[in-house]
Amino acid sequence: MSRRLLVTLTVSGAAVVVAAAALVAFAHDFQPFGSAEKLAQVATDAIWIATGLIAWHRRPGNRVGPLMTAVGFVNVAQQLYWRAALPFTIAELISFFSLPIGLHLFLAFPSGRLQSRFERGLVAFMYVAVPLFSLAGQMAAPYGLASDPHASCPGCPRNLLLVQRNREIWNTIGNLGALVVIAALVTATVLLIGHVRRSSGATRRALTPVVLSAAAAAVLLGAVLVVSAFGVQTEGSLLLWLADAAIAAIPVAFLVGLLRTRLHRSAVADLVLELGSLPSSAQLRGALAHCLGDPTLEVAFWLPDHRRYVDPDGNAIDPDGDPERAVTVLGRAGKRLAALVHDPALLDEPELLDAVGAAASLALENARLQAELRAQLAELRASRARIVEAGDAERRRLERDLHDGAQQHLLGIRLALQLVRARLADGGASADELLAEADAEVVDALAELRALARGIHPAILNEEGLAPALAALARRAPVPVDVAVCRERLPAAVETTAYFVSAEALANVAKHAHASHASIEVTQANGCVAVEVADDGVGGADLAGAGLCGLRDRVEALDGRLSVESPVGGGTRVSAAIPCA
Amino acid sequence: MPKTVLIVDDHAGFRGFARRLLEAGGYTVVGEAPDAASAIAAVQALQPELVLLDVLLPDTDGIAVAELLAENDGGPEVVLTSSREAVEFGTRLERSRASGFIRKDDLTTAAIQEVTAARP
Repeated sequence: MSRRLLVTLTVSGAAVVVAAAALVAFAHDFQPFGSAEKLAQVATDAIWIATGLIAWHRRPGNRVGPLMTAVGFVNVAQQLYWRAALPFTIAELISFFSLPIGLHLFLAFPSGRLQSRFERGLVAFMYVAVPLFSLAGQMAAPYGLASDPHASCPGCPRNLLLVQRNREIWNTIGNLGALVVIAALVTATVLLIGHVRRSSGATRRALTPVVLSAAAAAVLLGAVLVVSAFGVQTEGSLLLWLADAAIAAIPVAFLVGLLRTRLHRSAVADLVLELGSLPSSAQLRGALAHCLGDPTLEVAFWLPDHRRYVDPDGNAIDPDGDPERAVTVLGRAGKRLAALVHDPALLDEPELLDAVGAAASLALENARLQAELRAQLAELRASRARIVEAGDAERRRLERDLHDGAQQHLLGIRLALQLVRARLADGGASADELLAEADAEVVDALAELRALARGIHPAILNEEGLAPALAALARRAPVPVDVAVCRERLPAAVETTAYFVSAEALANVAKHAHASHASIEVTQANGCVAVEVADDGVGGADLAGAGLCGLRDRVEALDGRLSVESPVGGGTRVSAAIPCA
Repeated sequence: MPKTVLIVDDHAGFRGFARRLLEAGGYTVVGEAPDAASAIAAVQALQPELVLLDVLLPDTDGIAVAELLAENDGGPEVVLTSSREAVEFGTRLERSRASGFIRKDDLTTAAIQEVTAARP
């Protein structure tokens, strides 16, 4: 709001108020209203204009100030008439105009913005409906909707809009208008209760005085109506003066509420002290939420390398995701640090947000680095898992290639050799011997190739699953092996790892354990697969051994843990726990 | 003892050797098929008494083909074969309705006769 506009509005406000007071005191004597009551109304209007201008000045970007000022101006303008016909007609016409403006103000407080399409529709409807009802009423009755069309007022000025005194039309319009206004007021009250219930922090602090003063005014006005209904004269009574005072307090409550969204500088000083010890991300969020008076505050950290925001745990988030929340970006030395996702009411306090941003910048930078580290760790973990997956896929491809390639050729050679032997069976014994040797070579080569293919990747594992694969493994072992495996299929990487853990452990049983019996157990519980291979051999195995060490990397790449229990003379137990979400 | 044979395998080289091996052992090879679909068509067209069926085929697996062939009464006898060992197929081989399984390394007419003779 420019200084010139402020001065203009202040001067014209003062002029209008003085003029209205003078007219009420000296020129409205033709009306059957007490002028003291009307002077009190003018005083209330003056309070609306004054508090509205202060609000406008202190919160220039907020519509609350202009709306409050408008309520005051429209109300006081109702008194700007004298015995002349035109000013009287205009004053009558605008006598209900402060209703839609007031409704707009209540629903838009404290942000100055209406929050939903429905609220915008309701306010727009009232802006159109109220003037139409006023106009229609004035066409059917000389003094508008407020007075009987046949009331006589000998000294009153003429209503230029009057078409015909008609009680029926006047009645219908009056009742319909009252119905619309009551419905709108009830709806607005329900909406306002919703605002209060959903509000937090700054918004709630702003709403509290407004709601309290409006409730007090409503109760006192209700009391006046009840007392009048019993025929008691209220004019000049203490009750009426109290009700007037409560109504006059409403604009003050709006101003107080609006300014209450501004917090004390001391909160920022406290924040500086609190952040001195470089708190954790959670503590930092708590301190900021406390200082800004918004318990729902969230902090999103900016990762410049990835050009995205993450939460304190390093998970990607979108600060602009919720249209009912406001976002303020904080920076340090020209670099973006973080974004605060907060109550929109705080937007009216850019200085506070700036001060908080400056005070917290070091702590924010620290927390941002932590979040960045966590994001990198998460990425590393994902890439490790991908490497394991890629390795497994490569093993599967190799197994297939060996099977389709070299193995088939060797098989062909073996069949050919057998055919040759069959043909030679009648005569050449030495040739037969040589061929038998060659055949034996081929048999060995095939056996080796097959073992190699199985070691690279056991085909049965992806075709049949872990249980049949482990059963096949157990059948090839030199000692009896009991196998107990859960039946459901697990993620490929988990199955492969569980298989190789078992295969390596059984290979160690065969090589070192001198065992007479072994067992494999695979169980699934709480999102975790447990693999346990135990034998009754000599024990003394070590996790540092090459075979087990490679297994440990595999298991840990899936965020699992591998452990070996092998007391000398007490058998060996290899256990792997692999997360399996 | 069955005499006419259909050889089903996706490797042409193997089919060639197997044909010569079987013919040397006194069988009549009536046809060859490279995959499951053409194998089923060939069985209907050629009515072989025996099918030498590879387990790992490019379209469907041989154990499933054996099931399909066993559905019809008077269908051919099936001997499954593979370059892999029987143990690598888990219990599926034992449960299959084929007459038996012979590892490709061990494929001889004597082995086939042994498997088919054991059929009840």
